[in-house]
Amino acid sequence: MTILVKIFGDLRKKIKDVESDGALPLNLHMNTENIEYIKDILQKLSIEENETSHIFVNGVYAGFNKKVKDGDRVGFFSKNQALLYKWYFKREEDD
Amino acid sequence: MPKRILRVNMNNLEAKFEDFPADFAALGGRALTSTIVEKEVDPLCHPLGANNKLVIAPGLVTGTLAPSSGRLSVGCKSPLTGGIKEANAGTPFSQQLAKMRIAAIILEGKHKGSEYYTLKVTMDKAEFTSADKWVGKGLYDTYQSLFKEYGDKVGICGVGIAAELLGASSGICFNDPEGLPSRYAGRGGVGAVMASKGLKFIVVDDTGAPGVEILNEEAFKEGAQKLRKALTTHDVTKPGGALNSYGTSVLVNIINEAGGLPQRNFSAGQDDRSEKVSGEVKAEIIKERGGKRPHACNPGCIIQCSEVWCKPGGKDPVGVLEYESVWALGPNCGIYDLDDVGELNRACNDLGLDTIEAGGMMGVAMEGGLANFGDGKKALKLLDEVKNKTPLGRILANGTAFTAQAMGVTRVPVVKGQSLPAYDPRAIKGIGVTYATTPQGADHTAGYAIATEIMGVGGTADPMDTSKADLSRNLQVATAAIDATGYCLFIAFAVLDIPEGLEGVVDTLNGVLGANLTVADVPGYGQSIIDVERKFNKAAGFTEKDDRLPEFFLKEKLAPHNTVFDVTDEELDRVWGP
Ligand code: SF4
Repeated sequence: MTILVKIFGDLRKKIKDVESDGALPLNLHMNTENIEYIKDILQKLSIEENETSHIFVNGVYAGFNKKVKDGDRVGFFSKNQALLYKWYFKREEDD
Repeated sequence: MPKRILRVNMNNLEAKFEDFPADFAALGGRALTSTIVEKEVDPLCHPLGANNKLVIAPGLVTGTLAPSSGRLSVGCKSPLTGGIKEANAGTPFSQQLAKMRIAAIILEGKHKGSEYYTLKVTMDKAEFTSADKWVGKGLYDTYQSLFKEYGDKVGICGVGIAAELLGASSGICFNDPEGLPSRYAGRGGVGAVMASKGLKFIVVDDTGAPGVEILNEEAFKEGAQKLRKALTTHDVTKPGGALNSYGTSVLVNIINEAGGLPQRNFSAGQDDRSEKVSGEVKAEIIKERGGKRPHACNPGCIIQCSEVWCKPGGKDPVGVLEYESVWALGPNCGIYDLDDVGELNRACNDLGLDTIEAGGMMGVAMEGGLANFGDGKKALKLLDEVKNKTPLGRILANGTAFTAQAMGVTRVPVVKGQSLPAYDPRAIKGIGVTYATTPQGADHTAGYAIATEIMGVGGTADPMDTSKADLSRNLQVATAAIDATGYCLFIAFAVLDIPEGLEGVVDTLNGVLGANLTVADVPGYGQSIIDVERKFNKAAGFTEKDDRLPEFFLKEKLAPHNTVFDVTDEELDRVWGP
């Protein structure tokens, strides 16, 4: 029961103990235990919400309260990667 | 000294300065190129004949100390779309023109013989010399020789081998501050229009230029200050922000995660191999190799999204590899190797090809069996066909639609004949509406700037929502206005969120023009530019049927979202309709 969590840009520096391959994103296969929302993943990884910019869940632009489940693909981008035509995207939340 | 127009008649090789008409006073950049083209060019003329004209115009505040304002517009009837064209570039050349108080260069007529010319423009004259010795040569070597011949302070614009073939995907190349032939007014075949007239290069020497006249210094200074503050504090545009750290290519991973990064001629929206050509990877390699990142495409830009990509050891600098170029020559061709992409981009710059059109062309060429998807080396060989001016090279130089037809490919990603850029409209519908309805042919920059909030009319922001007419129209109108000022579109990120930034833009315009514009005047100004462009296109024979995406976007589902482009025709027509 895992979620694929992709960590982009400077956020990779927050993840200790995982070898990074150049500037490629880190791919973490995280156990879903105690994870219900995006914010739970961030907490587990000790990443502050304000250190992130774009978050995607299965290709959908998402917020901290988006629910996640087994098999999902989640992408976290660092603060200095903020560059979206925000008028094309709305953050999806679940609560 | 008032502003002037330099009118260049290629029939008799005569160039003379004319007064700048008083009723053009508030026009610059795209507003000026589109107005002149609409007034002076027969919409039914052959784009490569004597009756088309090419207009080059710096923006209204270009050449001043206003930050990030060194852009210019190139306008004509496009041989790619058959409609009006504005192609935009950031380059010191634009600032030199503006400082010389040249509001526009209008190129008209057509030289009868097969010779090519260089036009050298100084403060008080413009002279022709033969450019024949550069014919058939790559632009990297040529620009080096031109700078040797004319001195390293001049600005150069020119066309390459693709334009000599009159290829509809040839751009006009401007030098960057390092003298590299890397800043392109790329789209719509503007290069072929210049070459069709017998002109190969324009060299400008601004020695003795008086600089841009500023009628209200105080308003200008205050405005520039406000804008500078907005740009240096906003997360996207500030030093260390996304554009400055990674350049536009930061979008590779973002749009791939969004499921909208077209792969292999628009047959999927996501492929994790794209991560290998991302902005993050590129920035790291540039650092290792001793290239440049960040970098300004023109002096005075404080966002500095640009860069200089090079080979190991800092050798053979290419210039910037933009997001659109990396995508077009990379994932769209199934190529996921940055060195392959870099060499393809070098070849495009060297030949004078628009990278987006070249990548779109390569995608359909691969689908048509001229190379396998992913084969970067074969792709380079295909570009050699253009260099060698073979019959196949002539087909390829004419772009995506022409190549697709020649190869029997039916999945043809073009609107009004122009290749789609790097966002799949099935995953991001709003940009699809812009692709369909802009007078320019598929173009991301046409509806890319400023927010709905500023314009007062909302549009829904969900990428899958299909009511996007208001959103797209507002973006297109605002973009047209920015394209007239000479400001880089990327200021939009900051002026969207920081109201003083937008005020600063308007204040600097008031400073230069001695006018009393307000932020509320911006939409009307932008709309008037679009109206002029649509009037030209209508007279050229365009109807609503041309404001549509190709059939396969409506029928073929795109993974991972498994959606089609389902914005209705009525919604598309609502963009400019009653
Ligand atoms: S932000 Fe980039 S494209 Fe715009 S003017 Fe600056 S360097 Fe050029």
